[in-house]
Amino acid sequence: MICKDCGASQLEGTLFCSECGCFLLDAPSKPTFILPFSDFAKHDPTPALENFKPSALAKPLILTIVIPSSRRRFKMEIVDRIRIGRADIHANIYPELDLVNDNGAEMGVSREHAIIEASANGLAVSDLGSTNGTFLNNSRLSPNMRYPLKNGDELRFGELLIHVLF
Amino acid sequence: MNDDSDYYAILGVPQDATEAAIRDAFINLLPQFPQDVSEQDNPAYGRLLTAYKVLSDTERRATYDSLLRETAVSPLNITIQASKDQLQLSKEAQIVYLLIDILPPAAKTQTQRPLNLSLVIDRSTSMKGERLDHVKKALEILIDKLAPDDIISIISFSDRAEVVVPSQPASDKQALLTKTRTIFTSGGTEIYQGLSAGMKELRQAPLPQHTNHLILLTDGHTYGDADLCVDLAQKAARLNIGFSAFGIGSEWDDQFLDKLVAPSGSQSQYIETPDQIINYLQKRIQGLGSIHARNIRLSLDLPQTIIPQFGFKLSPFAQPITLKEQEIKLGNLEGRRPLSFLLEFTIAAQPRETRINIPLHFTADLPERHNHTVKHQHQIIVLDNPIHIAPPDALIKAVRLLNMYRMNEKVASDVQAGDMLAATRRMKHLSTRLLELGQTKLAQQAYSEGDRLETMGTMSLEGQKKLKFGTRALLGQTIAALNSDTNDL
Repeated sequence: MICKDCGASQLEGTLFCSECGCFLLDAPSKPTFILPFSDFAKHDPTPALENFKPSALAKPLILTIVIPSSRRRFKMEIVDRIRIGRADIHANIYPELDLVNDNGAEMGVSREHAIIEASANGLAVSDLGSTNGTFLNNSRLSPNMRYPLKNGDELRFGELLIHVLF
Repeated sequence: MNDDSDYYAILGVPQDATEAAIRDAFINLLPQFPQDVSEQDNPAYGRLLTAYKVLSDTERRATYDSLLRETAVSPLNITIQASKDQLQLSKEAQIVYLLIDILPPAAKTQTQRPLNLSLVIDRSTSMKGERLDHVKKALEILIDKLAPDDIISIISFSDRAEVVVPSQPASDKQALLTKTRTIFTSGGTEIYQGLSAGMKELRQAPLPQHTNHLILLTDGHTYGDADLCVDLAQKAARLNIGFSAFGIGSEWDDQFLDKLVAPSGSQSQYIETPDQIINYLQKRIQGLGSIHARNIRLSLDLPQTIIPQFGFKLSPFAQPITLKEQEIKLGNLEGRRPLSFLLEFTIAAQPRETRINIPLHFTADLPERHNHTVKHQHQIIVLDNPIHIAPPDALIKAVRLLNMYRMNEKVASDVQAGDMLAATRRMKHLSTRLLELGQTKLAQQAYSEGDRLETMGTMSLEGQKKLKFGTRALLGQTIAALNSDTNDL
C-alpha cells in the first residue's frame, strides 16, 4: 500500500501513514440521509430573535444534554457557542456536539446542522441550513435565524431528539 | 441475567439455600401482597410465584442452577473491536488493530481496601523553591484526604534517602503535617535510594489487605542506578506493589519513568508546572481508592503468524504498554472509566482462505477470586473477496492519535540515527496533523521543534516532553470523550 500523500510504502491494513500521518482508508464520508417526512411541521415557532448579540459568557454555563435514543446524558460547557453536527475528518468539520456515535447520519443530522450561541440575555439556537431541518419543541426553525432556547427545550435535528437542560 | 429472572434474588436467599430456607423466604414474602392477588394483575407476585415454583422443585432447580452457571456474567465485561474482521488473501504481511475495553461493573462490586501508600520525594537542590513548596502543599491536601485506616509513609531523597514519615496509619494528621514541613533541599538525585527506602516502609504493612502503591515525584535524571530501579519495580509488582511516577519540569528521563511503571501497568506523567502537582496526585489517589479488579494481565499465546507490534493503554490514563514479555501488564480497573487499550498486530502472509484466531486470555485479581481468568478469542477470516467495512470510529480516532504519538517518538529515533532530514520532515508533518485536529498549541510546538531540528539538529528537552505527553494526553481524552457520562464532567 502506498500513501497517496507522501508516497511512503505501508503495510496493508495500516490506518494512518507512519511517515506523514495521512489517513489511508478511502472510506467516503457518509452522506446525510434524506428523511421522507422532512416537510413535516414547517410552521415557525416563537418568533425569531431580532437583536440577539452573541457574546462570550464571563462564567461558562453548564448544559446537560440528554439524547434518549442513545441513552446518553452528559454535561457540556458553553462559553460562546456550541456547534452541532457530525464530525467529518475529510471535510475538517469538528462540531463541539458531535452526533456521529448517536447514529447521526442515519437519523438525518447534517455535518454542520445547528448552532447554540450564548449572550448575556440567554441562549439562542439556529439551524445552519441543514438537510432535514432543526425543530424546537416540534416546530421547524427557519434556517439561519436565531430562536430563544430555554431550559428544558426539546431540540430535534432531523430525526434525532435531544433535551437541553441548564 | 437481569434481576427479574434471578430467582434467588427475588426470594432474597443465597444460591446454596436449603429447601426449608427457600420455603420460609417465600412464606415471609407473601403477606406483602393482598389476599386476592393474581399473577395477571401483579407482575411482582407472578415473579415471586415463578421463582418459588422453580426453586422448590429439586429437578427444576438443578436445571436452573446449571443455566445460571453457564450464563454467570464474568465480573470482567470485555468488548473487542477490530480494524478488520475479514482480510484479503495476501502474499505480504498485513496490519490489524484491536481496541479492547474492559468496563467497570456496577459500583456496588467495588472493593475498598485501605491504601498503603509511600510517597517518595526528590529533594535534590533543583527542587528548591516553587517545586518543593507545591509538593509540600500537595502532601498536606493528600494527608487530609486519607482515611484513618490508610497507611502512609513519606521518604525524601537526594543522594541518600531519609524516612520523613515511617509507615503508620494516617490517623494523627497534625503530626504527619508537621513532619512534612521538615523536608529541605540538598544534594543530587539517586532515585534507587528513595525507592528502596519506600519499598521497605510499604512492606511494614500487611500487603494482601491493602492497595499498595509507591508514588515517585522527581525532577531529574538518576545517576547510574536506573537498572537497579527497574529491577526493584519488577520485584515490587510481584509483591502487588504498584509504582506511579511523576516528572516535574523537563530535565528528567521520560523513558526511564515509563520503564519504572510498566511492571505494574501504572502511570508516568509529565508535570509541566509545579502548580499541577496537586491535581495529578489527587487523581492518582482517587483511582487507587476505587479499584474493581487488580493487576489485570493479558497473556498472548500467539501462533508465529501473529506478531504484536505495539500496545497502548488509553484509559483510565494513557500509557505505553510493554509487549516484550508473554504477559502484558494492564494495571487495575479503576474508578468509573473503562480500562481501554489498543494493540497493533502484523499478520503474516495469508496465501489461503482460512480463519485466524487471536487468543486473548485475561487474568485479574478480583475481590472474591484471585487469578480469575477470562478467555476470549477474536476471530478474523481470510477471504479472496472480503467485504470492506470501515473500522469502528472509536478505533480510528485512537489509532490517529496513537500515530501522532509514534511520529513524535520516531523523530527521536531519526535524530539518534543522525537522519536530520527525515526528523525535520516528520516533525513538520506532525505539526500539520495536529493543526488539522485543532490542537493549535501542540501544532505550534511541533512546528518550532521542526525549525529547531532543521537549523540546530536537536529538539528542546521541553518541546520533546510537551509533544510526547501532549499527544499522550490527547489519547487519554479520546476514550474519555467516547465514554462521556456525567461523572467525567
